[in-house]
Amino acid sequence: MNNRPNILFINTDQHSWDALSAYGNPYLRTPNIDELHRNGTSFRRSFCTDPVCAAARSSWATGLYTSETGVPFNGGYLHPEIPDLGQLLNAGGYRAFHCGKWHVPGRNVRESFRTLYYGKTDIGAGGAAYYDSASTHAVADFLTNYDSDEPFYLQIGYVDPHDVCEYLHNHEEKRIPNPLEQGIVSEDDLPPLPENFDYDERETVLHRVCRRVDDALIHAAILKGVRGWDELHWRYLRWNYYRFIEKVDAEIGRVLTLLRETSLHHNTLIIFSADHGEACGSHQMFQKFTLYEESVRVPFIVACLGDGISVEKDRFDETHFVSGVDLFPTVCDYAGVDTPEGIQGMSVRPLAEGRDVLWRDCAYIESNYWGRAIVTEDYKYVTEYKPKVVEDFSPPGPDAEQLGLSQLFNRHDDPGETENLAEDAAYSEVMGTCRNKLLAQEARLHRQQIVHPSPKRVISNWGERLRAYWEHGR
Amino acid sequence: MNDSNPLHWSFDYNYGAQNPQFAQELIRTLRRYDSEAGTGGTQKVPAVTHVYDILPNYWRGYSRGGVKEELSIGIAIIERSKNDDNLWNYSVQYENTTSGENLEIKFCCSDENYRPLTGNWSVDAQNSGDDTYSRLSCEGYLALDSEIRLRINGTEITAGTVDASVKLTCNWALFDVIPVLTQTIQESGDGIDIAVLEDLEQLRPKSRLGFLESIQTPISLDGYYVYGVGFLPSYWWLDAHGNIAVASNFFETLVLREKMGDRA
Repeated sequence: MNNRPNILFINTDQHSWDALSAYGNPYLRTPNIDELHRNGTSFRRSFCTDPVCAAARSSWATGLYTSETGVPFNGGYLHPEIPDLGQLLNAGGYRAFHCGKWHVPGRNVRESFRTLYYGKTDIGAGGAAYYDSASTHAVADFLTNYDSDEPFYLQIGYVDPHDVCEYLHNHEEKRIPNPLEQGIVSEDDLPPLPENFDYDERETVLHRVCRRVDDALIHAAILKGVRGWDELHWRYLRWNYYRFIEKVDAEIGRVLTLLRETSLHHNTLIIFSADHGEACGSHQMFQKFTLYEESVRVPFIVACLGDGISVEKDRFDETHFVSGVDLFPTVCDYAGVDTPEGIQGMSVRPLAEGRDVLWRDCAYIESNYWGRAIVTEDYKYVTEYKPKVVEDFSPPGPDAEQLGLSQLFNRHDDPGETENLAEDAAYSEVMGTCRNKLLAQEARLHRQQIVHPSPKRVISNWGERLRAYWEHGR
Repeated sequence: MNDSNPLHWSFDYNYGAQNPQFAQELIRTLRRYDSEAGTGGTQKVPAVTHVYDILPNYWRGYSRGGVKEELSIGIAIIERSKNDDNLWNYSVQYENTTSGENLEIKFCCSDENYRPLTGNWSVDAQNSGDDTYSRLSCEGYLALDSEIRLRINGTEITAGTVDASVKLTCNWALFDVIPVLTQTIQESGDGIDIAVLEDLEQLRPKSRLGFLESIQTPISLDGYYVYGVGFLPSYWWLDAHGNIAVASNFFETLVLREKMGDRA
């Protein structure tokens, strides 16, 4: 029993997969997360289940996709009968702790975990620095005092770089000079525009209505603000985003240093990931909510700073599709705790140990209740369900008849996802294969009807707006 | 700046209809202080104290706590005095009602323009939330003039290394560094390089301190900026009396509410 490892799950918020210096990004310095990579395996094909905080986090907590959890967007509500990771680990002989951001609406974190630090009020967003430094203090206090024969599971939810949203909100109603006019940084300091800044406007209706039109369903005020941006503003957004990541990297560094100094590192497995990414100017987009790579692809590292746990070190896994649903079974696997029936994820433990196992051949992602994507070896297929005429609040799918517009990208020739091939007759067979793969994946889900009145209101309101767009084209 | 909202972009966190209004609160606090400045509290005394209201820079659309009557989320009190050894002893109280974590920071600086850290320092953090973590004490010192060492609950770690030739200061000492270095900074063009130990815990080794511009509203202010690796830009506005009247980093804006004593 006592040989079971401690497990530390460190997560950042809104952290794109490639925003790490260990992955070759020259525009920021992340020595501490890089250290995790050097001491572990980085899964480069790692995707969130849904590119928004609460939804993605509901998958971490349950091992289920978001059409199953009841949290298909930030205003969702976790179905009460679904067990969460904290409950399982506590019952399985672990001491399960939480620190920092939780954001799984419908589940009181204090009832499932012992909370080291959760803030004075529920951490939604905003003021990450307060919470992140306090979280590090709480973890420092924990690590330097831990004295139990029982192994611990500790999840640390850092808020940054989510506060790039604050940077964006600040542009909502006022003009802020571009960085050269500000006279602080020089043009040489700024990262270039992303190569996929220009984009193919043939996007799904869901995407247009949520993120592109004047009255966009999500953060229309920011959209209005950034429409006045010049190239330098976009580049300065990227510059700031990278500073947020450096900031949270320093917090993580303090945790890793203390782990070593307290000698807990030998028998502590560390998993590092993020709930979702950040568009950061790609496709002239900001934040998350979209099914483009920058928004859905996240880092996922399994590491051990000591020698007590078998983990392949300093290695990129470029092959296996890892999903946010995999956190739950991975933690349970290392902890020796049985997973409940019906969970969707798979333990990445054998992959981290360098063993060959039968694995999924694609990643499945949901977005904004109606959005869907499949990422395969060669293609990304993005589509949407049309809103039902009479909404029954059962998450849609699998239903080929109800699918709306699609996007298809060749992952080798067009990694930036700038040319939609969905309407190209030469790709009709590929489209069919991807569509079938999507529908087959959805057939394996245990979708449940949304019953909480708050998310039902969102679905009704958004559905009405989407139907209007389908009818009138605007 | 515009007619309805006279704040400079570097500390303008007025979010439309969100109440209480950031601009109103900041201007009211600042004008009240400014009108009293120079009318008292300027005698040469051993200790100088600045009291700042902390206003949140973040968008409050995420807030689930309902509308508050006051915008202020806390207070920062910076007290410093010169001791018999010609060193500056600092005591900072930082209370934050949003995070629930309050800090009490004590440190010592040499009597030089850059206020380099010297001797030992301490950070006492207390959490008022309903959590396992309630208090953390951290003590620090500079070993061999270059290695930052921290002791946390008896566990000692290295928190970074600075070049021995670099003057290491901290963000709370910048409230005194900027007023005495105005000419040096303004003549430097691109700014001067400094190393900052943020909150006496996180080293920001390659930081830059530079001059921004001068503005007249809401009162006459000279602006400076600081940023570096892992250190988002912050803006420091010096009033005509030589006090940092507004200090705005990414997350909060400190507005001078009260000053006691004058620099010796």
